[in-house]
Amino acid sequence: MNSPRAHDRDAPSEERLGRRQTVALVGRPNSGKSSIYNRITGGSARVGNYPGITVDILEAEVALPSGTRAIVADLPGLYSVEANVARDTDEGVARTFIDRLRADATESFVIVQVLDPTRLALGLRLTHELACAKLPLVVVLTHEDVLAAEGREIDIRRLSERIGAPVILVNARDTGARAPLLAAIDDRLREPQTTLPHTEYEPATIARDVLHDVKETTDTLRQRTLTERLDAVLLHPIMGPALFVSAMALVFAAVFLVADPMTALCDGLLGLTRRRFDDLLGKGLLASFVTDGVLAGAGTVLAFMPQIVILTVALEVLDASGYLARGAFLVDRLLRVLGLSGRSFLPLLMGHACAIPAISATRVVRDPRERLTTILVIPLMTCSARLPTYALVLSTFFSERSAFFRASLFVLLYFSGILAGLVASFVLRRTATKGKSLPLVLEMPSYRVPQASVIARTAWRASRRFLRDVGTTIVFASAILWALLTIPMPGRTKDAHAPPIEASIAATLGHAVEPITRPAGFDWRMDVGLIGSFGARELMVATMGVVNGIENAEDDTTPLSQKLRDAKRSDGTPVYGVRTGLALLAFFVLACQCMSTVAAIRRETSSWKWPVFVLAYTYAAGYAAAVLVYQIGGLLGIS
Amino acid sequence: MGDAPTVTATMSDVTSETSSLTNATVGRRMRIVATRLDVDVATWLAAVGLHDGEEVIILRRAVLGGPLHVRTASGGEFAIAREIADRVEVCGA
Repeated sequence: MNSPRAHDRDAPSEERLGRRQTVALVGRPNSGKSSIYNRITGGSARVGNYPGITVDILEAEVALPSGTRAIVADLPGLYSVEANVARDTDEGVARTFIDRLRADATESFVIVQVLDPTRLALGLRLTHELACAKLPLVVVLTHEDVLAAEGREIDIRRLSERIGAPVILVNARDTGARAPLLAAIDDRLREPQTTLPHTEYEPATIARDVLHDVKETTDTLRQRTLTERLDAVLLHPIMGPALFVSAMALVFAAVFLVADPMTALCDGLLGLTRRRFDDLLGKGLLASFVTDGVLAGAGTVLAFMPQIVILTVALEVLDASGYLARGAFLVDRLLRVLGLSGRSFLPLLMGHACAIPAISATRVVRDPRERLTTILVIPLMTCSARLPTYALVLSTFFSERSAFFRASLFVLLYFSGILAGLVASFVLRRTATKGKSLPLVLEMPSYRVPQASVIARTAWRASRRFLRDVGTTIVFASAILWALLTIPMPGRTKDAHAPPIEASIAATLGHAVEPITRPAGFDWRMDVGLIGSFGARELMVATMGVVNGIENAEDDTTPLSQKLRDAKRSDGTPVYGVRTGLALLAFFVLACQCMSTVAAIRRETSSWKWPVFVLAYTYAAGYAAAVLVYQIGGLLGIS
Repeated sequence: MGDAPTVTATMSDVTSETSSLTNATVGRRMRIVATRLDVDVATWLAAVGLHDGEEVIILRRAVLGGPLHVRTASGGEFAIAREIADRVEVCGA
C-alpha cells in the first residue's frame, strides 16, 4: 500500500473534481485525533453543518497534493462501529456521520483512523471493524516520539501488508508530518472506493508481530513506566484525593490571582478610553451612549476576558495530560452515592468554563438517566460568565482584605457550585431521573505532555467566542439598556428632587420588582441588572455599569466597584452592604441565567420540559438562598 | 445492567477456579472467562478491550468501594466500577 502512486498527481480526474471529497478522522478517545486534525488543517476550524447531526463537528477544507480540495472532519471518539450505541452519544454521532458518508453517492471519502501505537492491539480492533464495514481506510499512527523514547519500533510495511491499508507513522508535533499525511490521503482518495482493507486477521497477533522493543536503557525503561510511576502517586489512596482537591483549588485560585492584575490593567485602559471619548465627543447624548452605554457595559465585561482564557487553558492542559481521567477514577465513588459516575466528571468540570460545550460533552455518558441528570445539574457549575459578577462583588465589598482572603472566597464560590450540583443530582436521582444506571467503565490514557499549539488554539477559540459575544449580544443589550435607562417612562411624573434616571422605563420596571427582591437586599438598580442578565448572566456587570454610568455621569472614570461602594441613600447610609453582596453571590451561584444553556438543554433532551424545569428549580433555589443569606446576615449583625 | 437479556460468554478451556474480577488479587494476572451483562453492554465492553479471553491485572482499588484500575494484555488501562467487575468472571492466567 506504500507503493508508488499509480496516477499522475497533477491531473485529477473529472469525476473526482465533480464530487465532494471528505476525509473523516476517527479513532478511540485520546488517540491523538485533535493533534492530527490540527496538523493537517493548520489549526483552522469551522463548525460543520450536517443533516441529523446536532453536535459541533469541526471541519476545514484542505488542498491535497494533486490540487483537489477535501473537507477534513474531526469526529468524536469511538470504540466500535458494530456495538449498539445511542444516537445522541459521542459514539452515536460518529457512527451517524460515517453512515451518512456511505449513503451519499455524490461524495467520495476516506476514513483516516488515528491510532495510538503504544496501545496498538486495542486500536487495531477498531481497524478490523472498519475493514469489516468495507470502509476505505488510511491508518495514522501518532506519538512517533513517544515510541522512540520508549525504545520501541513498529514495522510499518508489515503492518500495512497485514491489514491491507496504507499506514503512516508520524509525530503530530512535527510540522513535517503534514506532507506525508496529505499524500497518503490523496493517494487513497485516488484509488477506487472498492479497494478495501483485509478482514482476516487477529488484532492482538498482528500487534505482537509488528511492535518490537529495540532498545532497553535506563531512559527507555523509565519512559515505559512513566504512567505507572505517576499513577502510584496521583492515584494513591490518601495522596491521590488530596492532590486532586489541591489541583482543583489551585486552578480556581489561579483564575483569580493571575487574572486579577490583568483585569485591573484592562479596567485602567477602559478608563483611559472613556476619558479620550469624553474629550472627543464632549457632553451630550452621543457621548453618553458611547461612554455610559457601550463602554460601561460591554467594556466592563471585556476586562474579564483574561479569567476566561486562563480557565479554558487550565482545563485543556488537565485533559490533554491525561489527568482528568484520573480525576474521574478518584471521584467515581462519591458520584455513585449521588447517582452519577466518574464519566459525568469531565462534563461537570467542563461546566466551569462554559455550560454549553459541557452539555454537549455529556455525550460521553452512555447511560441515559445519568446523562440527563448531568445535563440538569451542569448549569449549577461556576461557569466563566459568573466570574465578572463574582469579581465585582469581591472587589466592591472585600477590597480591603488580602488577595489570599479574596482568592479563598473565590475558591469557596466554586466549591459552593459543585456542592449545589451534587445535592441537586442526589435529589434528582431519587425523584425525576430515578432508576438503575450503567456503572463506570473508562479508559485511562497514558500521561502525555500537552501540545502547546493545540492548547493555544483552544484558548484562541474561547477568546474569539467571548469577543464575538461581547461584540454582538452584549453591545446590543448595553445599547438597549442605555435607551431604557435614558428614556422616561410614559405617563410617569418626574420627582423634582430625584435624578432623571429614576423616571426611566428600566428604573420603573426595577421599582416594580423591588418588593419581591427586597427580602434579599436588592434595590431597583440590582433588579434592573437581574432583569437585564436573565438571558446572559455576564450582562449583570454590564447592566450595573450602564446604570451607574448614567447615574454618575460626572464621575465616568471611577471603577464600578467604587461607585457601588460609595452609593448612598438620601439619609447617608450605604445602599449596598456586605450582606447584599453575599446575597447576590448566593443568587448567582444557583440561578441559570443563560438562555444559550437553556437552548442547549432543549437541543440535547429534545424537549421543552427539561429546560423549563432547570429554569424553575435554579431560580427558586437562587432566590431562596439569597433571602436566607441576607436575613441570616442581618441576624448576625453583618452590615 | 437493567432488565435486558444477558449474555454469558464462556471459554471452553477453563480449568482453574473462577471468581469475579472484584475479588481477584491485586497484581495477579487473570483471564476473562465470562461476562454476565446484558448483550449491548457486553459487546461494547469487548470493543473497548475487555473481552472473553483477554488477560487482565488489577493495578489498584480505589478507596471506599470505588472502581478498580485494571490493565489488559493489549496495553489498555481502565477504571471499572465494582458493580461491573462483579459480573466479569476471571480465572488464573
